[in-house]
Amino acid sequence: MSTSLDDEIEALQARVNTLKSHLRIHTSTLLTAPSTLSLITSDRQLQSQSSLQQAHTQQCLYRACASITTFRTRDPDPRAVDSGSLLGLRIEVVSRGKFLRPYYVILNRPWRGHRHHLRVHRHTLPACVSVGGLAARYLPAPIGGDQDEDGEGEKGKKQDLARFARALRREVVRYHNRLGVVADLRRAAELAGKKNQEDDEKGEEQQRKRENMRLVDIRPADVEAKQIAIEWEDGRTGRLVMDDDGEIVKLVIVGENGRDHEAKRDLLGGARRVEDVVKRLAAIS
Amino acid sequence: MPRLSIPTTARLPSSLRVDPTNPAVHKILGRLSRPSLLSVVLDWLHEDNLHLAMPFLRRPYQGEDYYDEDEPSDDEDDEFADDFYPPARSPAALRELYISLQARKGSKREVLDRILDGDWRHGLTLYQLAMADLQYMHDHPTSQRWAAYKVVPLKLQQDQDGEQQLKADNESLSIPRFHPSTFLRNLQAQVLPDVKAHYTFEPHRTLPVLLLRIFVIDSPYNTSLSLQHGGMSATTFDSSRTIYIAFPHAAPYVYLSSPQATTVDPIQKPGPGPGVGESKSLVSLLLEGLPKALSRPLQRQRVTLQSTGLITRNLEELVERRGPGRTNFAGGGWSWYADEMKGRDQKRETPLDLVLPSPPDSEDVEGADEQREGREKRIKIKAPLEEQEEEARRRAKRVAQARFGNTAKMRDGKGVERVDVVIDDPFPQGDGDENEEWRPKVRLTFHGPHVFAGIRQLIECGIVDGERMPGWMTGEEGVTIGAVRHGRIRGHKGSGV
Repeated sequence: MSTSLDDEIEALQARVNTLKSHLRIHTSTLLTAPSTLSLITSDRQLQSQSSLQQAHTQQCLYRACASITTFRTRDPDPRAVDSGSLLGLRIEVVSRGKFLRPYYVILNRPWRGHRHHLRVHRHTLPACVSVGGLAARYLPAPIGGDQDEDGEGEKGKKQDLARFARALRREVVRYHNRLGVVADLRRAAELAGKKNQEDDEKGEEQQRKRENMRLVDIRPADVEAKQIAIEWEDGRTGRLVMDDDGEIVKLVIVGENGRDHEAKRDLLGGARRVEDVVKRLAAIS
Repeated sequence: MPRLSIPTTARLPSSLRVDPTNPAVHKILGRLSRPSLLSVVLDWLHEDNLHLAMPFLRRPYQGEDYYDEDEPSDDEDDEFADDFYPPARSPAALRELYISLQARKGSKREVLDRILDGDWRHGLTLYQLAMADLQYMHDHPTSQRWAAYKVVPLKLQQDQDGEQQLKADNESLSIPRFHPSTFLRNLQAQVLPDVKAHYTFEPHRTLPVLLLRIFVIDSPYNTSLSLQHGGMSATTFDSSRTIYIAFPHAAPYVYLSSPQATTVDPIQKPGPGPGVGESKSLVSLLLEGLPKALSRPLQRQRVTLQSTGLITRNLEELVERRGPGRTNFAGGGWSWYADEMKGRDQKRETPLDLVLPSPPDSEDVEGADEQREGREKRIKIKAPLEEQEEEARRRAKRVAQARFGNTAKMRDGKGVERVDVVIDDPFPQGDGDENEEWRPKVRLTFHGPHVFAGIRQLIECGIVDGERMPGWMTGEEGVTIGAVRHGRIRGHKGSGV
């Protein structure tokens, strides 16, 4: 008796939550509709809510289209430089048709004599992006800025936030594309494995050849996912090296008797990019 | 066993057997608990490991290969007739025996004696010892103290703050790469020829980390003869000569276990035993060799190790703060930005979600309204003083949430045990002589199972003012050793990268 009652309460609670989320969605939809805007001109509270909603919608639009957006935030540390005001960069990443959690770079202005010079304060970028190196290139510290002097210091190199942001985004997107290609390779190889099990009626010779072709593991082998380690069922291992943009630099396959050039030709088949290998793998199966 | 030992520069082979009477064997096996000892033995007897951990077996008298050349089997039975632990006939039989031991209760001593005097009376291989040692590390994850080092290109100079001065060239953009077997070969070339080491790689069971165990002995030979007679005393076989290196996946960092940790170990004899200084120099030798082994001189990519000021026993914390994830440079309250928001919250940060986000504290707006109404009702009942206290407590909680985010919770298992901070700032003076700066030497040491969770709790209790507390007390910089300058730790202009 009591358990059924508990279940009922739980179900009702879940229903309340879904209804609440529906309510929120409807509110925001209604508030953005132009017809509602003309209706609520008299209500102060609704109007402020509506303007908030409009601002949010605009922000979302910018985020979805521009992929790099900025925002202002504050450092909670009472001893923070520049009384805690910070500039945030939000870098959107799309992978497999979904927006991932954006990457953030938070910048501050630590040099008192150089009010417009920024410096990276915090960031959430993956370890494969050399944020320090890019910051040294595009956001160089002002000369003499270390002394914390007031007034005009000697002019150093110019900072270029836009190029910094672009370079960061380029690195991040490349990284995610490389990861995506590795995932595609895996999927193509797994597909091959499944199909092999299905078509048993094919000739035994061909079957064995395919068995040997079967890949058991494909994974990124280094920090930047530029190298892919490939393992075959018969113990051969391979290493595919691609450059920043996914062009194949090198592929080495080592079997029991040293380098296996035939398998390399089989896998590559004149492919220049890793995506071509994905297509080939999918076609072979 | 070869009768002759020739000095060599090769590493110690995994199949090298150590005599079971050796005190190091007792020490390594003896500190395991009975269940983990049994599971290690079963791992030894697993088919994949069997060739490196062959137990002492009875010769298969019915085997075809030995059919005619063997002595009659009766003699063999006699040979082991008065043996307390008669050898088994096959690894499979032995495996069953140990499984039956696992099922019933008993003392650890029984299993240990069986291993040392019975099934492995002819010696345990270095591989077996390494497996046992790694098992101990999995059983006691905090037994090692790890220091995190960053792998950086060699050319970089450091300024007075110990920060990198990156140049705008291609080298500062390159990320060091790590390949285990190449690394090991290069490392062996760096180790002195009169020191022999045994290396074992093992992936960590729960964390994305590759562990390398290095076991060092002082001998120019790599035969078992040298292990038995060549000055194989307890001091040279001390477990302080075991060094662990951990390589996190997809992150240019290296974690090194510091050898002091093993001398603190209660099982070992307290006090600085002989050979501790030697092993320290050995570690420094290895430290020098590490970057050289990671470098690739042919590709003109030389790297060096740079201390990151984070030393802890907690490997999980290291993976969090010096690992592949997003939280490396966004700790404390900044962890909101690094939060992957899996599950229910996942939708919230996509730009396609047009629902107006509510501030995180008033999650359920209506609920908050109800609460407020309830509070107003209660005001009439409660004494105003009590109400004030409650309000203050709620506020302290919110402040703590703002400063720490979702980090530094007591049960998240990502705590550091010790934080050392030196305050370099001048003493805050009122109005008066600005020329006379008084810089007292202030050195703070926080100590506990989870230091920053403790500070968070102090804020939540209202003992520390969370709004005026300096940022380094939140642990957001992810360092355990640091100097505070201008109220900020590590780099007096803010953290930078």
